[in-house]
Formats: sequence, structure tokens, C-alpha cells
Amino acid sequence: MEMNLGYAGKSSGQRANFWPTYLCFITLGILIPFTKPIFQGVTLILSIFLALIVGLLAVNLSIMLFNSGNPDLRVASGGQFAREAVENGMLFMIPFTVLAVLAQLLLNWNAVMPFASAAIMTACATAGAEVMKKGAQGMKNVLIPSGLAFLLSTGWMMLVGLLP
Amino acid sequence: MNKLATEAPRWKTALNMVINPGEAVKSQMSKVPWPYSILVSGLSFTLFFMQTGLDLLRTGQIETAAVILIILLGLLYGTAGIALLAVMSWALSRAGKRGYTVDWAISAFGLGYSATLVYALTGLLFSLAFGWKTAVAFGVTGVLWALRPTLFTIKQMSGERTAFSVALSTLCGAILLLGWALLGRFGV
Repeated sequence: MEMNLGYAGKSSGQRANFWPTYLCFITLGILIPFTKPIFQGVTLILSIFLALIVGLLAVNLSIMLFNSGNPDLRVASGGQFAREAVENGMLFMIPFTVLAVLAQLLLNWNAVMPFASAAIMTACATAGAEVMKKGAQGMKNVLIPSGLAFLLSTGWMMLVGLLP
Repeated sequence: MNKLATEAPRWKTALNMVINPGEAVKSQMSKVPWPYSILVSGLSFTLFFMQTGLDLLRTGQIETAAVILIILLGLLYGTAGIALLAVMSWALSRAGKRGYTVDWAISAFGLGYSATLVYALTGLLFSLAFGWKTAVAFGVTGVLWALRPTLFTIKQMSGERTAFSVALSTLCGAILLLGWALLGRFGV
């Protein structure tokens, strides 16, 4: 009987699952058009598309960076350590996404992007911390994904500003 | 190495809480007394609420007396409020069973607001120097940045339960933001 419900550890060989991460990005993408003066369907579609692209880039570039920065760990784990670390780290987007929904729909703050930016920065840095927990050495594992998150969130913010 | 960590000045521990909260929570929190941490969170929320008051004062929604009331509410929120939140999280995580004391929980929660303090100070500077409305842009952003140390603290207290810590951190964040929104209205 499973006695450790809710614990992060998973059996080896189980593939990483990123649907909660992409769901967070889609939710943030859905919220963004509500911050515009006039809600438009085109903005909604473009915003969801943009959020998904940012999400795909955040996940896959993080995995790629962790793999290339820790070749020994990649070989030892059969290429799974980076995927698992990113999966665990990206779960930390959930609180920010829920709070963004509360702020937009309950408090009418029109401030989705600060939540999105904090979410992506926290998730990437936490993925780095997870990599270090798996045996990777050096602060680069936290600083490089934080830099990536900064670039992605800044780019996302700029592109959101261009949406109709 | 351990000795170095224990001898690190408290401001460095606070900085580490911003940069690498996972490590700070794991190895340095037992050396930081809870009154010091509560001072950090108390000051953070006092300055954050001050900006809320100044924003409302500028738009003519409140008088100076109400600004002072909001500032005092901020102080109460950042001290008693954060301590209560820490105790609630400690109890729900059953952290006592894992050897974490209430003092440890309050200390970790309070110091988690180091990033909020940086944002609050920066926001106040912009508010006073340029007359900007900074409560949401700087204040709320600062509170959001404190969510990461909170997540790590709860994760540590709950024995690395990711789903539980994500859920409880969401609850803590929601209580803080909704509480701030309600108190802001009370001040009006």
C-alpha cells in the first residue's frame, strides 16, 4: 500500500510528465487577454499559442542546459535526471498560476505578467535546485536556468505588449 | 564548511534566502533567531502597506490619518500575521514530528520575506522620488518572490512532500494577497 502520498520521489524508469506545467502556461495565456482594455478572441488564441511556446521553450531548453552542463550525471541516470528535475521544479508554477487567477478574476488587478514572471523564474531556479539535489555540482545549475527564465519572461512580456 | 555556514552574518543568510532558499532553509535557519526574521517580514510589510497608503493618498481616496492606520496594519500583518501563518503551516505539516520547532518555522517564514524587503525599499524609493503608484508593481511582486522561500520551508517541514507543499504554499499566498486587498479597503 502506498504510504507516501504526495511525495516527490518516483520509481526509476517512469517518464516525466509535464501536463501540469503546460496547463499553468495555458491558464496564464487565457488570463492575459482579460488585462487588455477590450477582450478579443484573436488575442485569446494568440496569447494561448504564445504561452505554450514559452512553456515548451522553458521546459526543453532547461532540460537541454542541464544535460549539457552535467554530462556525467546524464550518463549515470540514463538521461532521465534533467527531465525529472524540470518536472519537479515546474510544479512550483502552480501557486503563482492560482494566485494570478485569484488576482485577475476576484480582485480585478490586471497584473498577470508579474505572476507569470515570478512563476517561470521560481520554477526554473527550483529545477536547478532539484538537479543539485540529484548530485550536480555548482551554483551554475541555479544561475543558468534563472538567466534562461529571465530571458523567456522578458521576451514573453514584450510579446504580450504587442498582442492586439 | 558547516562552521562557515553557522558563522555567516545574518544579512548573508537573508541574501541566501533570496538567491538559494533551499540551501538556506536546510542548513542555516537554526542559527537565525525568530525575532530577527520577524523584524525582516515586519519591515517588509510595513513598507509595502505604506506604499499602498501613499497610492491611495495620491488619488485622494484617503487622508493622512488613514495612511498611518494602513502602515500600522502592515506592521501587524508582517509580524503577528506572518507568525500565525508560520504556526499554521508548521501544524499542518506536522513538522514537530520531524524535529522542527515553532521558532524554526517562524524564523524561516519571516526571513523568506527578505526579497519582499528589497522590493519594498525599491518601490518606496520610486514612490517618494517620482510619485509613482508602486503598491502592486513592487509590493505584490515582492510578496510573490517570497513564495519561493515559503515553498522550500514547507517542503522541508513536510518531509519533501511536493504536492502538499505546493498546495499549502498556494493557500499561504492566497491568504496574504486577499488579506492585503481586504486590509487596504479597511484602511479606506
